[in-house]
Amino acid sequence: MTNLYEGMFVLDNKVVRQGWKAAKGTVTDILTKHAANTITARRWDERRLSYSIKGRGRATYLIAYFELPKDAGPGLNRSLELNESVLRYLITRVDAIPATEAELASREESDDFVVPAPPVEDAPAPVVEPEPEPEQAASTEDSEAADAAAGDSETETKTGEPSGTLEPVAAATVAEASTEPASSDETKTDEGA
Amino acid sequence: MSANKNEPNRRRESGIDYKDVDYLSRFIGPQGQILSRRRSGFTAQRQKDLKQAIKRARHLALMSFVG
Repeated sequence: MTNLYEGMFVLDNKVVRQGWKAAKGTVTDILTKHAANTITARRWDERRLSYSIKGRGRATYLIAYFELPKDAGPGLNRSLELNESVLRYLITRVDAIPATEAELASREESDDFVVPAPPVEDAPAPVVEPEPEPEQAASTEDSEAADAAAGDSETETKTGEPSGTLEPVAAATVAEASTEPASSDETKTDEGA
Repeated sequence: MSANKNEPNRRRESGIDYKDVDYLSRFIGPQGQILSRRRSGFTAQRQKDLKQAIKRARHLALMSFVG
């Protein structure tokens, strides 16, 4: 017992560039390996993917109609998952082949049909940092020099201030330290009395 | 048992194809969400077919998931 299926396969453009017949053959060979009767197989479209799959921005779509035994589905899925030239696939059950499909497939089989080569991969544009203009560069240098001068004066004041204030405090703490033990002893003796 | 439950073929004859991206994109919101039945105006069955077709198109990277 066989069913009729429609398979849409997203093929890697690197494989397609090496030859459309070979790329198509990878899919049809997998189908025949799993006892599928391929009725039609043709190039559907080459387009930019809505999101990247395995780092690919563009891919070629192949549509195929085939009959497959009922129990051959899992094996076919496994083979397609393992094949690296097939980025994605979708197999759906259909009732009948569309009327125009046979004609389109036969047109591709003819000798005068030329499969257009996939365009170059959409590479992201290289990021170029704009060079600063000479006037802006000079002004920034001046401002940096001014900042550096201001920073030096600030450090001087910061280092100068504590030296003036620390001395009396240190002297006071030394004086307290020398007098504290005596006073604490006095309070203790007072409390005890 | 109703006859409709045993007729999955009728569902496939609804005419919404996952390959027809231009048609499907009419029922996608600005951030990529599927429009509700209230906005699409579909019947319950046709809305299910629309949802299935959009999800299939997203799987094949024909449509984006977000915006």
